[in-house]
Amino acid sequence: MIKLKQISKSFGRHQVLKNIDLAVAKGEVVVILGPSGSGKTTLLRCVNYLEKPGGGEIAIGDFKLDCRHARKKDIHQLRQKTAMVFQQYNLFRHKTALENVMEGLLIVKKLPKEEARKKSIALLEKVGLGAKLDAYPSQLSGGQQQRVGIARALALEPEVILFDEPTSALDPELVGEVLAVIRKIAKEGITMIVVTHEMGFARDVANHVVFMDGGVIVEEGTPTEVFNHPREERTKQFLKRITPELNYSI
Amino acid sequence: MGAPFDISYIFSFLPKLLTTLGTTLLIVGFSLLAGILVGFLVALPRLYKVPVLKTFAEIYISFFRGTPILIQLFLFYYGLPEILKLVHVDVTRAPVLFFVILTYGLHTGAFMSEMIRASVTAVDRGQVEAAYAAGMTSFQAFSRIVLPQALGIAVPVFSNLVIALLKDTSLAFTLGVMEMTGKAQTLGSISQHFIETYIALALIYLVISFTLEKLLLVAERRLLRHEVPGSPARKTFGLQKNGSYRRMIAQLGPGKGGGG
Amino acid sequence: MMKLDPSFIWTAFVQILSAIPTTLYITLVSVSAGLIIGIAVALIRIYKVPFLHPLATGYVTFIRGTPMLTHLLLIYFGLPMIIDGLAAHFGWGFRSVSIPMIGFAYIAFSITAGAYMSEVVRSGLLAVDRGQMEAAHAVGMTTSQALRRIVFPQALAAGLPNLSNSVIGMLHGSTLAFTVSVVDINAQAQIVASTNWKFFEAYLAAALIFWGLTFLIERATALIEKRINLYNRGGVI
Repeated sequence: MIKLKQISKSFGRHQVLKNIDLAVAKGEVVVILGPSGSGKTTLLRCVNYLEKPGGGEIAIGDFKLDCRHARKKDIHQLRQKTAMVFQQYNLFRHKTALENVMEGLLIVKKLPKEEARKKSIALLEKVGLGAKLDAYPSQLSGGQQQRVGIARALALEPEVILFDEPTSALDPELVGEVLAVIRKIAKEGITMIVVTHEMGFARDVANHVVFMDGGVIVEEGTPTEVFNHPREERTKQFLKRITPELNYSI
Repeated sequence: MGAPFDISYIFSFLPKLLTTLGTTLLIVGFSLLAGILVGFLVALPRLYKVPVLKTFAEIYISFFRGTPILIQLFLFYYGLPEILKLVHVDVTRAPVLFFVILTYGLHTGAFMSEMIRASVTAVDRGQVEAAYAAGMTSFQAFSRIVLPQALGIAVPVFSNLVIALLKDTSLAFTLGVMEMTGKAQTLGSISQHFIETYIALALIYLVISFTLEKLLLVAERRLLRHEVPGSPARKTFGLQKNGSYRRMIAQLGPGKGGGG
Repeated sequence: MMKLDPSFIWTAFVQILSAIPTTLYITLVSVSAGLIIGIAVALIRIYKVPFLHPLATGYVTFIRGTPMLTHLLLIYFGLPMIIDGLAAHFGWGFRSVSIPMIGFAYIAFSITAGAYMSEVVRSGLLAVDRGQMEAAHAVGMTTSQALRRIVFPQALAAGLPNLSNSVIGMLHGSTLAFTVSVVDINAQAQIVASTNWKFFEAYLAAALIFWGLTFLIERATALIEKRINLYNRGGVI
């Protein structure tokens, strides 16, 4: 139900995305892997137009957007159907955890305040932050901030949540708590596209794994296919490099 | 030079000088309003990179930051009527205060626009992205996310600019405006107790500057209550934790670097 | 009011040029002396030197809270009183009348600059990571060696934009010297303006000269900045 057709993107002369096609079914968790510079984050950012694609089509359900003729209204609509969890959390710094989650509900969804509040509290409790409603981002640890970020994305009830390396800015000991929350919501059947370097997590949670390199999708399939029986040489090389502990003992 | 020092004159001059405090504050207040307005108008084309207008804005800022306020005062006082005469507008009868406020307004405006631009740019790009990702329009993202944060960042610079403006108004006497400094000179020459007058004058400026600074500090604390003090944990060379480093940098940044 | 005479702008420009050295002297003296005072005051405040520390803070607060004009007027009227008082008391031959007018400007503006410079120096020093000082101590340097060789160069790089702002501030502030009858660019413009009854043209010429001088200071700063910052190319800022 999410279909990317022939998405391309260039920064100056450098083509970062070369006609990417990708389909994500409802309730599916798609994990995108790839070395840095492979274009995976750019692809994710194209899906909600934080990067303007050079061409192609984005379809979510019945909604279709031709990237060559996107109007402001279309982009706005596209963004309302998606939500994003950022690598650097990007919580609104001048708002408390609760206000961060409520903001989109009040301003974009135009919910009445009391309803927005109730819903937001429930979501923050779900990510284990029921006790931190009134804390500002600067008073929260990275892991806590990212969990607020996830609650903020969930609140909008988007058709898809985009995760842009949600744990790579975190201290190692905080990665676990964030992954646990993502696992939990993945099980609830929320459609997600996740860019990550966490291989164990990808193997566990993904229904579908996409390996990108040099702006193209090199290989895709089920986690078992991609992790255990990679067909392409580039995929094998990458997996070997990123999971050295499987090959060497230190 | 003058009569022998007599401390009692300081106290007797204080109330006399304070009678003209209204004029000084009037100049500060109106120039400030004009300056904020001009500052926004000049900052916008630079923030949104509007061609041509952006160049005009840059020249404007460069001129008003690149020449002394004293020269600007004379330039506008003598020059504006002549230039307006070319388009058949007669301002020769306009009160001096009009020229004074106009000049200070335009002067502060140049600094204000730099302050506005710097504070808006200082808000993390990720904040806007998060707002867009949540489905906000660009106006919502600016008014609800960027502006409130930029305000907090701007206060220390703003505080510095207001105090600089207050001090700069001491030059209005050169055009014959009877504000505090003008009054002090009159009192000095009448009584020949120059030192005492100027001590009294300096004391009044000091108290006003101090009060303004404290008031704006309260405003800053309120606007930045979401930032844990010293949260970007940095160890500096400083052996003390006297005030925040960000504040000091901000005060010196696009502000006026002394003089005036 | 006379008619606008564009050609007189050039005439005034040429006549005002002769006053540029005076303006530059005042700026140079006040900036240099101000920098020395500023470094001393900044160190006193950072290291919280007993007794001197509150004095330094009071000095900076007073100067920054009052107009530069009042500093000049206080020195101009106050210093002779103090000097002549002391001279009479100790029987010195020196009298304040032998101080040239420009001397008052030098002294007053140096005092003004000192307070602003101390803030420039202080913020520059605070920008240097404490680890730098610790590392210098760790390789066996004394505190003064560490300050001179490690901390100050980095502080200079961090404080350069503020320093440049302050120099421009003092350049513009030097226009106040007319109040003690020193003929700087501004005073010369006044003379040219009133003798020819062409005020606008004269002040426009003066403004252009100041604009040019400010531009030069900014260019010079950019050049120095480029050189100094070689060591942290690709840094965070």
